[in-house]
Amino acid sequence: MTDSQSTDLIGIGGGLPPPIPAVELVGITKRFGAVVACEGVDMVFHRGQIHGILGENGAGKSTLMKILIGLVLPDEGRIVVDGAERRIHDPLVAADLGIGMVHQHFSLIEALSVWENVALGEKGTLDPGTVRERIEEISEQYGLAIDPDARVGDLPAGLRQRVEIIKCLRRDPQIVIFDEPTSVLTPEESKQLFSSLRNVVAAEGRAVALVSHKLDEMLSAADEISIMRQGRVVDRQVPSETNARKLARSMVGRDVLLRSERAALGLVGDDEQGHQDMGSPGSSGPDSQHPALRIEGAVARGPEGTKILDGLTIELHRGTIVGLAGVEGNGQRPVGDLLSSLLPLESGRVEVDGNAVPAGRPGAMARAGIGVIPEDRHDSGIVLEMTVAENLVITDPYCVARRSLIDPKRLAAFAREIIEEFDIQCDGPAAPMWSLSGGNQQRVVLARELVQNPKVLVAAQPTRGLDVVAIEYMSNRLRTAAEEGVAVLLISSELEEILDLSNRIVVLRGGRVAGEMSRSEASLENLGLLMGGSTG
Amino acid sequence: MSTGTAEVAPTSKTWRRIRVGEWLVLYALSISVALLIAGTLVEATGGDWLPVLSALLDGSVRRPGRWGETLGVAGPLLLVALGTVVSAKAGLVNIGQEGQLLFGAAVATYFSFLIGGPGPLNVVLILLFGAIGGAAWAGIAAGLRYWRGVPEVLSTLLLVTVSIQTVAYGMRWEWLLLAPQSSRGNRNQVSKQLASNNRLPRPEIFGNEFPLTVYIGVVLALLLAFGLGRTVWGLRLRLLGHNPRVAKRCGVSEKVFGAGALMISGGFAGLAGGAMLAGGGFSFGNYQFMTGFSDNIGWTGLLVALVVRERVFLAVPVAFVFACLRTGSSFVGSTGVEGRITDVIQGLLVLALLIPPAVMVLRNIRRARAAATVRV
Amino acid sequence: MSSFPEAVYDIFTSNSTYINAALFGGLLAFAATGEWVAERAGTLNISVEAMLLAGAFTSAVGYDLTDSVVVALVAGILGGMLVAAIQAEMSHRLSADQFVVGLTLNILIFGLTGFLDREIDPATKTAARWTVPILNKVPLIGKALFGQPWPFYLLYVLIPLSWWLVYRTRWGLELRAAGENPQSADVSGIDVNRRRRQAVYYAGLTSGLGGAFLVFVQVGRFDDSIVGGRGFIAIAAVIFGGWTLRGTILGCVVFAAALSFRLSIQGLGYQVNNELLQALPFLVTILGMALFAHRVRPPAALARPFVRGLR
Repeated sequence: MTDSQSTDLIGIGGGLPPPIPAVELVGITKRFGAVVACEGVDMVFHRGQIHGILGENGAGKSTLMKILIGLVLPDEGRIVVDGAERRIHDPLVAADLGIGMVHQHFSLIEALSVWENVALGEKGTLDPGTVRERIEEISEQYGLAIDPDARVGDLPAGLRQRVEIIKCLRRDPQIVIFDEPTSVLTPEESKQLFSSLRNVVAAEGRAVALVSHKLDEMLSAADEISIMRQGRVVDRQVPSETNARKLARSMVGRDVLLRSERAALGLVGDDEQGHQDMGSPGSSGPDSQHPALRIEGAVARGPEGTKILDGLTIELHRGTIVGLAGVEGNGQRPVGDLLSSLLPLESGRVEVDGNAVPAGRPGAMARAGIGVIPEDRHDSGIVLEMTVAENLVITDPYCVARRSLIDPKRLAAFAREIIEEFDIQCDGPAAPMWSLSGGNQQRVVLARELVQNPKVLVAAQPTRGLDVVAIEYMSNRLRTAAEEGVAVLLISSELEEILDLSNRIVVLRGGRVAGEMSRSEASLENLGLLMGGSTG
Repeated sequence: MSTGTAEVAPTSKTWRRIRVGEWLVLYALSISVALLIAGTLVEATGGDWLPVLSALLDGSVRRPGRWGETLGVAGPLLLVALGTVVSAKAGLVNIGQEGQLLFGAAVATYFSFLIGGPGPLNVVLILLFGAIGGAAWAGIAAGLRYWRGVPEVLSTLLLVTVSIQTVAYGMRWEWLLLAPQSSRGNRNQVSKQLASNNRLPRPEIFGNEFPLTVYIGVVLALLLAFGLGRTVWGLRLRLLGHNPRVAKRCGVSEKVFGAGALMISGGFAGLAGGAMLAGGGFSFGNYQFMTGFSDNIGWTGLLVALVVRERVFLAVPVAFVFACLRTGSSFVGSTGVEGRITDVIQGLLVLALLIPPAVMVLRNIRRARAAATVRV
Repeated sequence: MSSFPEAVYDIFTSNSTYINAALFGGLLAFAATGEWVAERAGTLNISVEAMLLAGAFTSAVGYDLTDSVVVALVAGILGGMLVAAIQAEMSHRLSADQFVVGLTLNILIFGLTGFLDREIDPATKTAARWTVPILNKVPLIGKALFGQPWPFYLLYVLIPLSWWLVYRTRWGLELRAAGENPQSADVSGIDVNRRRRQAVYYAGLTSGLGGAFLVFVQVGRFDDSIVGGRGFIAIAAVIFGGWTLRGTILGCVVFAAALSFRLSIQGLGYQVNNELLQALPFLVTILGMALFAHRVRPPAALARPFVRGLR
C-alpha cells in the first residue's frame, strides 16, 4: 500500500534507503468540529534523512506533528513505527518509542537554568553532575556549545533553541521532529542550526522531520519535501529538482479542484487578466490628493527584540484593493496589529487621508476610520463570552446609545438588521458568540467593520479556515466594499485569493516591501519569485 | 452549533448542558453536610443544636427589631460586595477591601467634624468623603499596578495592614481623629461622636429600624447592574475583563479603565465605611470611630462577592445571609454554646457553596477525557 | 530616663532584645519558609494565618492529652496540614478560587479554635530550654540563637532542608517549574496541580509547627489571639525576600527586629511611632516591590490557577 512511496524515493539522497522506514503515517485524518485539520495524510520518514514538511499556518503540519508526538489523537489513519503499528496517545508513549520533538514555544522555563530545563521531565533522583556531563557530551557531539548554568531567560533565541535540542537529544530519540526551528533565529544562527542538524542525522542514522514555512530552509536542509495545504499533502519535491518559486506556488495556491472550477467560470487566471467580473473597482481611482492610507518607514520590534517591521512603506487609495502577499513571518501579522492599534512603532508613521494617526494608542486606528478583520479573531476580533449584539457594537457603542446609555431596543434592532443583511446564522442578537460557527463568527467581524463605513478596511487572512461558500461570500463582500469607495488592504497567504481580488499586489519580505506590481503584471510565477527569494 | 475550535473555554457551554435539578441537589447536599458538621460540633461539645439554631434565628430575624439590625449589617456588606464586582469585571483581583473600608471611614470621620452646613448635606458629604477615602486607598494599588507593574492582588493585601496602622496613628492625635479628653469618657481610642443631625436616618418599618444604608445599597445594586449591562462604560469594562487586546483595539485603555475600576471598587468599600459611621448605631460603634472599626466587614463583603461570582443581584440575598450569621451569633451565647460557632457555620457554608461548581467542572473534565481525542 | 541615643544603645546591647527578636523571627520563619515553598510552586495561600492557629491549637490539645511536648509538636504539624488539606484539595484539585478558600479558612479556623478552646481549655507550658555550650556564650546573640527552648532549634534543620528540597531535588525542580511556567511544565510531563498541592501541604506542615512553636516556646499558652496577623507578615516576608529563601529569612529577621525594638523602646518609656513600626514590614515590602519591580519578580504563574487546555 505504501511501498509506492518508498520506491519513489529510491535513488535519491545517496543510495537505497533502508527497507523499513522509521515512521510511516498512513491516511491520517483529524477534524476539530467542522474544521478539517488533516485529511488523508500519507508520509514516510526514513533513517538518515531530513524530511521537510512545508506549508503555511493552518496547513495542518502542526496538527500532524502533534499527532505523531502524542498530544492529539487522530480520527482516522495509522502510525507505523519501525514496521509495527502503534497507538500514540501520550507524549510519554511517543518518548518510549523514540520519538522526540524540539518544541517551538511551550517547553522551556525561563527562570530555570539550562541544565535544570534539560533535566525536566525525567524521572529519578536529580543529579546535576550527570546532567551537566550529558549536556557536554551532546554539545561536543553535535556542535551545540552551551553553558549549562546559564539562566534560560537570559539567553538569546539561538541559544534557547540549542537548549531545546539538547533537551530532546538527551533521551536519544530515533526520530526527531523540528517544529518551525528558525522562526526567531537570525540567518547566522539558522546556518549554525542546520549544520548541527546534519550531524544529528548523520550520526546513528536518525530520521528527522523538519516542519517549516520557510522555503530557503527547505531547499538547503531537507532531503525531500512534502508540501501541505489545507490539511492535505499536495505535492512532493526534491530540493535538487526544484526551486523556491515552485515551492511557493505549491504552498500558497488554493485547492487544485477549486481552482479549476473557478478558472472555468472565468473568475481567475494564472497569467491572464482575470478582471472582467470585477467591475471597475474604484473606477474613480484616487479621488483625493491623499491616499486613504499611508504607512511610511514603519519600524517595529517584536518581544524578542528582533525587527518585525523594517522600514515598511505602503500606500492605499480609495476604491482599490491592495493585496499584501508574502510567506508567513515576513511582516503580515505586524501590519495587521499595527493597524489595530496593538503595535507601537519605533519609527515611521501612519496616515489616514493625510492625517497622522498615533500607533499603539488604544482605539486610535479605529477612530481614524480603519476597520480590521483580524487574522486571529479569537485573539483580537471577537469576545466569545459576549453576545452577538454586543460584539457588533464594541468598536462603536455610541451608534446604539444615546448619551452613554445603550438602548436595548436599538441594540437588538441594529443587531437584527445586520444579522439579516449579512446572513449570520445564530440564535438571534442575544446568542452568545461561542455558539456560532467559525464562518459566522467571521461574518460578525466583517459586518461590524463594514457597518462603520470605514475609510480603510484591513482584511487579514479573511478566509482562513472557512468553507467554499463562506470564502465566496467574503470575497464578494470585499469587492463590493472596494466598489463603494473603501480602500481595502487584503493580507493573505493564499496567492489565489490575492490574485483574485487585488488591483495591486505588494509583496512583503523581511518586514518590508520586496516588490509591487499591478494585477495585470502579476502571476503566480513572479509573485512566487518575490516571496520566496533568498533571505537577506 | 459547535465552533469546532478547541480553544473555547468549556465552562460556558457546559453550564447550560447541566440540568437545574442536578445543581439543586448538589447544593442541597453540600449545605446539609455543612450544617450537619456544625451541628455535630455543637453536640460533641455538650451543647444542643436546636437551641443554637433557634438562637441564630432569634438573633437575626425573629425577635423584634432584629431583622432591622441584620439589614443594618447587610447594607455595608452589600456595598463592599458591589465594589468588588466592579473590579472583578475588569479582570482585577482586589482583596484589600478591609483596608479601603477602614481608611474611608477614617477620612469620613475626620471631615465630619470639619464641615458645617445643614444636617442632611453633612450626611451626604460624610458618605462622599468615605467613598473618596476608600477610592484613594485603592488608588495606591492602582498606581502601583499601572505604573510599576506590581500585581494588585499583592499590593491590596499588604495595604490592609498599612491602612490599619495608619488609621491607628490617626486615632492617637486629637488633631486627627481622637476625641478630646473630656468627651472620651473611660475609653481611650474613640473619636467624637457624630452630632445627631449628622447621622443617617434610620427609618422604622414594622418596628424595625435600620439605616438608609440598606436602601442606598439596593439602589446602587440596581444602578450597577444597569450600568454594567446597559451603559457604554459597562460594556467597555466587561470587554477589558474578557479580552484586553480586543479592548485596546476598540479604544479601551487598560490603564484608564483598569485603574478606574480599582478605584471605584475602593470607593464602594469606603462608602460602606462612611455608612457604618453615619448610620451604624450600636452595630458599629454608635456613631463613633474607634480602633477595629472595620470589624471584618471588608473581608466578609469580599467573601460575598466571591461566593456569588460577580452576579450583582445574587449579592443582595447572600449579603443578608452573612449578616444573619453575624447578628444571630450574639444570641447564641445565651444558649451556653460559645458564640464563635457562627464563624464556624459561616466558614462551612462558604466551603459548601464552593463544592458544587467544583464537582461539576471536575465531572465534565473527566467526561471529556474519556471521550477525548485531544489530550484534555 | 536616659536620652534617646543612650536608650537605643542600651537596646542594641541588651540580650533580651535579641532574644525577643529571635522568638518573633522564629515564628515568622516557620510560617514563611513553608509559604515560600508554596509560592514558588505558584500558589498564594492567605490561609497561613489559619494554619498557624490550627497548629497552635492542636499542639496544645496534644500536650493536654499526653503531657509530651514532642507529641504536641507532631499534633501541631497535623493541625496545620489539616488546614492545608482543605486549601490544597479545594484550590488545586477542585479548582475553587484560592482566595475564597483561604479567606474562609481564616474565618473558619478562628471560629473553630475559639469555640473549642472554650470547651476544652487545654493546659500548656513552655518547653524545656536547651542551651548549646560555648556558642551560648557569644555576646548578644548567643542566648538568642543558642539558648532557647529546644523546638527553636528545629529551624536550623527546617530552613536548610527546605532549601535543599526546592533546589536540589527533582521534586523541587518540578515544583519551581509549576510555579514559573505551568504550561511548559505540563508539556514536559509534570503533574502541575499535584506539585502545587504538595507544596501547600508543606506550608501546612511548617506553619503547623510554627503554631506549636508559638505556644510552647514563645507564649506558653494558647488563646485564639496569639497569632494576631503574623501569618500575613510571613507572606509579606516572602514577597520582601523576592521569593528567595535567603531573602525570606532576612525579611523575618528584619521584621522581627522591628517588633523587638518597638517592645524594648517602649519598655524604656519612650513613645515611638508604634503604628509605623507595625506597618513597617508591609510598607517596606510594598516599597520594595515598587522600586525593584524589574529585578525582583514573583514566580511567573503566582496565584494563577492551572487548568490544562484553557488559555
